[in-house]
Amino acid sequence: MATFAEFINSYFLWRDPMIVGAVTGAVCGFLGVYVVLRRIIFVSAALTQISSFGVGLAFYLEAYSLGVFASLFDPFILSLLLTCLAAAFFALRKDFSRVSTEGVIAFGFLLASGAVVIIGDRITKGAHDIADILFGSAVVVEPADVLIIPLVALIVFITHIIFFKDFVFVSFDTETARLFKYPVRLLNTGLLITIAVVVAVATRALGALPVFGLLALPALSSLLITENLKLVFIFSVVIGILSATLGYFFSFILSLPTGASMTVCAAAFFLLASGWKGLSAG
Amino acid sequence: MSHLIKLEGLTIGYEKKGLLQTTDIAIERGQFWGILGPNGSGKSTLLKTILSLIPPVEGNIVSENGAVFGYVPQHEKFDAIYPISVFELVSMGRYSRVPPGKRLTTDDRAVIEDSLDKVGVAHLCGRTFRSLSGGEKQRSLLARAIAGEPDILVLDEPTAAVDIKGEAQIMSLVKSIKQESGLAVIMVSHFLNTISAFSDHIILIDKDNDIFQAGDKKEILNSETLNKFFGLNLDMEKVNEMQAIERLT
Repeated sequence: MATFAEFINSYFLWRDPMIVGAVTGAVCGFLGVYVVLRRIIFVSAALTQISSFGVGLAFYLEAYSLGVFASLFDPFILSLLLTCLAAAFFALRKDFSRVSTEGVIAFGFLLASGAVVIIGDRITKGAHDIADILFGSAVVVEPADVLIIPLVALIVFITHIIFFKDFVFVSFDTETARLFKYPVRLLNTGLLITIAVVVAVATRALGALPVFGLLALPALSSLLITENLKLVFIFSVVIGILSATLGYFFSFILSLPTGASMTVCAAAFFLLASGWKGLSAG
Repeated sequence: MSHLIKLEGLTIGYEKKGLLQTTDIAIERGQFWGILGPNGSGKSTLLKTILSLIPPVEGNIVSENGAVFGYVPQHEKFDAIYPISVFELVSMGRYSRVPPGKRLTTDDRAVIEDSLDKVGVAHLCGRTFRSLSGGEKQRSLLARAIAGEPDILVLDEPTAAVDIKGEAQIMSLVKSIKQESGLAVIMVSHFLNTISAFSDHIILIDKDNDIFQAGDKKEILNSETLNKFFGLNLDMEKVNEMQAIERLT
């Protein structure tokens, strides 16, 4: 077990992953409010698995000589492409004949989960890499991620500041939004695409488990803490950042798996929020 | 008088399956149209077709250019998971005049505050919508509908889940808003007395029995039509200058 002093002295080791974790926590915390309010938590679970599948598939295809197409099978690009396609599919298709929407989401989640394990068995990088994708490593992040993730987060935040009223409106009252000639499909697809892009870039850096955890748990916690919608977003961002950074800190000090540590920290905040809600109600 | 909406050769239904053929109707400013029918009679389908939320199976709905709708849906349709305040809810009514990507201006906020005052829910503006009583929710939704300064106010069963006092308050508010603004009102209800007391034009609808009758209240609400539509021996009487239904047997 490392001491706090050792942690501080090793800042050059954790600086980059901590930045990536905190930014991911902030942006996932923000988007998670929509995920929870729109009751699409399992869409985000399916997207994280599809993103993992994209990364795994890229590793698998790396073994083949693909010439000019090789850049298409970069883990980042393939994961982004598949996740955005899945998000557009979930946003645009409302009617799945006799299968419920939940059933289709479960199908996407299970197919991607199964496929990523099968691919993990076949790739030369081995099972360890697939475990990192699924459960998160984040011990070391690639230098590009320190630029890409904050840049993506900045674009997502700017988009959401501009269209905040519109995303809330179409989420809360689709019917009236349609009556007022709002581009409901475009806004819904745009919202899901921003979630998909964040899921794709964050899953490659941190892993599917912490990304799913950071999309769901901070928003669930903040909805227990406040009755003010704008504060829900702010608290969710703060809890997302704290979950990611404390998760990394405990992972470093206690030698825990990083992705799991972040997820447990986010779950601990949810338990604290539930306790606070229980005390304030009683 | 200018027509705000015209229904021309309209057949309503879902997914290209016709449910009911309607007669041609022209809705004008200052008119109060009541849509009356039993549960599952096609009232909501007609309303959503008028609002262009459902495409007509046949025919056209012609709206006056730039006509703005104010819509009061049933409050049960809103998901209580959202911590939306009454002010935020009423602000959404103004979005008919604020396009995507634009923010509410100071003038918009003044109109929203005025709507909250008119309907008597200004004191609730900091509360969450989900924490309100049925009557308070309905009045907040009415404030939301008028915040868009509509030409046509559309109400879907506005008194369905409120007590008698709440019903009287809501209907009196609708009446005063109509008189003050000169807008057209379209209201769906399955309460015959409410419709007969407040509307001047009535649509009787029952898709199962292929009934669609529309016109002036005096033409529609007579013993013959009522007996045919409800299968009961009913007649009209006046109570406090308002039409009311009397059951004869």
